[in-house]
Amino acid sequence: MKQGETAVAVLWWRGAFQSEKYKPIYRCKTYKCLYFKKREATALKSLRKTFSLLLATTMLIVSTAACTSGTNNGAGSTASTAPSAGGATETAGSSEQEEITLDVFSMLSNFSGEQTGWFAKVIKDKFNINLNIIASNLEGGGDVKFATMMAAGNLGDLVIFGDDGQKYLDSIKAGMLVDWTKDGLLDSKGQNILKYAPKAIEKNKANFGGGSSVYGIGFDVGDDKPGPSEAKDLTYNPNLRWDLYEKLGRPEINTMEDYLPVLKQMQELEPTSESGRPTYAFSMWADWDGNMMVLTKAWAGIHGFDEGDGFNPGGFSLVSADKDEYQGVLDEDGYYMRGLKLYFDANQMGLVDPDSMTQKFEDVVNKMKDGQLLFTFFPWLDDTYNTAEHMAEGKGFALVPFKEERTFSYGYDPYGGNRVWAIGSKTKHPDRVLELIDWLYSPEGNMISSNGPEGLGWELKDGKPVLTAFGEQALPANDTAVPEEFGGGTWKDGMSQLNNSTFKTTNINPDNGEPYDYNLWKSTLEKSPTKLDQDWRAAMGGALTAKEYLEKNNQLAIMRPLFTGTPPSVISDELEQKRGQVAQVIKQFSWKMIFAKNEAEFNKLRQEMLDKAKGLGYDEVLAWNVEQNKKVFGYRKQ
Amino acid sequence: MKAAIRPQSSMSRRSGSLIPDKFRLFLFASPFLVLILLFSYFPLYGWLYSFYNYRPGFPLSETPFVGLQWFKAIFSNPTQTQEVMRVMRNTLAMSTLGILTSVFPVIFAIMLTEIRTTWYKKTVQVLTTLPNFISWVLVYSIAFMMFSVDSGVVNKWMIALGFQEMGINYLAQDDHTWLAMTLWGLWKGLGWGAIMYIAAISSIDQEQYDAAKVDGAGRFRMIWHITVPGLMPTYFVLLLLSIANFINNGMEQFFVFQNAINKDHIEVLDLYVYNTGMLGFNFSFATAISMLKSIISIVLLFFANQLSKIVRGESII
Repeated sequence: MKQGETAVAVLWWRGAFQSEKYKPIYRCKTYKCLYFKKREATALKSLRKTFSLLLATTMLIVSTAACTSGTNNGAGSTASTAPSAGGATETAGSSEQEEITLDVFSMLSNFSGEQTGWFAKVIKDKFNINLNIIASNLEGGGDVKFATMMAAGNLGDLVIFGDDGQKYLDSIKAGMLVDWTKDGLLDSKGQNILKYAPKAIEKNKANFGGGSSVYGIGFDVGDDKPGPSEAKDLTYNPNLRWDLYEKLGRPEINTMEDYLPVLKQMQELEPTSESGRPTYAFSMWADWDGNMMVLTKAWAGIHGFDEGDGFNPGGFSLVSADKDEYQGVLDEDGYYMRGLKLYFDANQMGLVDPDSMTQKFEDVVNKMKDGQLLFTFFPWLDDTYNTAEHMAEGKGFALVPFKEERTFSYGYDPYGGNRVWAIGSKTKHPDRVLELIDWLYSPEGNMISSNGPEGLGWELKDGKPVLTAFGEQALPANDTAVPEEFGGGTWKDGMSQLNNSTFKTTNINPDNGEPYDYNLWKSTLEKSPTKLDQDWRAAMGGALTAKEYLEKNNQLAIMRPLFTGTPPSVISDELEQKRGQVAQVIKQFSWKMIFAKNEAEFNKLRQEMLDKAKGLGYDEVLAWNVEQNKKVFGYRKQ
Repeated sequence: MKAAIRPQSSMSRRSGSLIPDKFRLFLFASPFLVLILLFSYFPLYGWLYSFYNYRPGFPLSETPFVGLQWFKAIFSNPTQTQEVMRVMRNTLAMSTLGILTSVFPVIFAIMLTEIRTTWYKKTVQVLTTLPNFISWVLVYSIAFMMFSVDSGVVNKWMIALGFQEMGINYLAQDDHTWLAMTLWGLWKGLGWGAIMYIAAISSIDQEQYDAAKVDGAGRFRMIWHITVPGLMPTYFVLLLLSIANFINNGMEQFFVFQNAINKDHIEVLDLYVYNTGMLGFNFSFATAISMLKSIISIVLLFFANQLSKIVRGESII
């Protein structure tokens, strides 16, 4: 309490003397505040002195508290939330809500620390909330951060799960998440969610909440319609430097292995990047590896297979999006092993960045920006190179499909995907966290998180969204300077670092009748295409986007939404232990095999991997995975 | 010994203390006993986790008790046993190398004291001591800056000088991992380790050197016959201490330097426990393995004890 009182004093002191900005927020309501105000009139001068002293003491207290709570942000939040413990505030308008800092534990973020820039400003202005992001990707990777936070019994205020598997189920079971139905929370604060994503709530109730409780909501909630839900690109596309590919006369590519000779020629064509560093076809990173190497798994992705069945926790089976087919990760002729062989061959040809194993994702982004890469799997990574200037020159990444391609695609899913937004049970402000989530699930919130605030990146003309001059420069993720009134910094740094979506961006925004994704706005499509777009479209038989091309040529494997009404299966502890150990072996040997010195060593390592993985129980885990996958094949037919 | 205590106790009587002497001494010792209990015995409570199927987030009482399942798992599965043996081999190899290299600080200290130019001596000493205060994470970033392929200094030089045709990722190699790790450790600890010996050298009687000089001994003779013997007691004390720490080679260094290629040889016991527990998400099994460490330590202790009995005729316990 003592600390709370001093905190009140500090906040009030700031409001009274320092900044005009804080005044409306701390309008006098409590007796404490009034008391201070009265004294202010009589003895302002002596008071200032006292408060300076008080402030100094508080700083001391806060700084010592910071040691115990770990971060400065944490300390800030305890200090500023303290007044509510005294029952001081009960406000209606957001501008009158006290300032709080929410700890966001995101298992998807690639950024840790306080959210800054334009998105931070939007959230601050609207909700008076600061977001302190804790990113498990950056803190040990894998499940390390999750395990420590679970053991500490606190998952933060806003929790973002990378999937709705074991971790989500454990968190619910251990009571780490808030039940949104308690005290009518969802009904009072979740109006948008109930209006725009009712089926997602229904699914969470049925699958995870025993039919009554709601512990979270899935991402990418889609409209109820068939077809692929992606905007212009798929999750995995084989993207090549189009300008170089064109210079080579667009050689035909039939199988995934055919990329290698083409990439080699491209490398010879452009041996160094803009800053004079060597170019590579593949530059990889290990930060995101889970049960296997993510960038090897991607080869399965462009054949329509992905880890797990999209419903049960993933493991060692790769499952087809639309057929009743599956492969074991270590199957001799499976896509994963083929991917490893491909990378090995690429490395022999000098196409693999030798830093791959020791660098982090951030390093790859920088290399991409510099033009050191010739191939990527992820269209959103293209954006770092496909700047307006590059594209005007005709340089940039674009889909170069191969004959056998059947890229994994997600259908519209009104039930929401498997990345979950949830609220940590130790939060002091479940209502305000839900308010924030609810806003993100509103047309306005989704529009702003994807395209920035109105007036900055886009504006309405005749009721339809149009990119502003700034938007054309900055979107999707460029280092364009943002005006101070919108939060300053650069566009890229100011983007939402939560790294989870709410609605499918291809959904139609009910406010203006256009999709959320600016690429699909009528105004954007009518705009004269860049040189890169022109070249690409001409070569692809007039298709406007990668998705359109693949859809036309029947090269998509669309996974239909699945609603089972039951929770995903839970793996037994014994199998879970085996999975953990086998995953380590698979990851370690995958990397070793790629960098093997010669074919003989590659084969020897492969055998070693098989022996070790099988010795540690690979077959048992796979058998369990397959058993669950088969159940899902049954559900798909319903 | 008795004489030393006597005056103290008479003093306490004079000051009129109500606490009898025997308890008084115990009270003096008690803060340290508490610390030992807190830091050496209390953590043993964590061993309980190895008998359960622990999942973070759930209290131990709510997780299933599995008895010795995890201990059996170490030995029941041949692949698993091999893994543990591999890790033990790394642990012992790197500890042994560490002990073998413990003579380097001695040599370094002797050389340092032989330098006559004071400012040069001071500079060398400061520069070699500093790395000890750099955390391993920073050491790794230094290593990455030096050895990375695209921007590393070493690769640039090697290519410029024509020793290699293209960049080599030195950090992702498994040749001589043990040696490389030992060298990094040596680089970091050399100056720091020498401090103790420099102090020991300065306490060697100067008259011995003077006498040797009169007898016509040169520098090397003096080092060999005076300095080295003078350092031996200190060296052996430190050696014994490091043998006691044989199994604890820490994990920070190996954690930051590990990658898929060198993992086979870099994974020491502490790191393996971390990797299975935190990364493999299996805390109970990791606890069981970490208990191996205590078993080996006890074996080492009895071994040393027995040796002491044979050599010196008296035992420690």
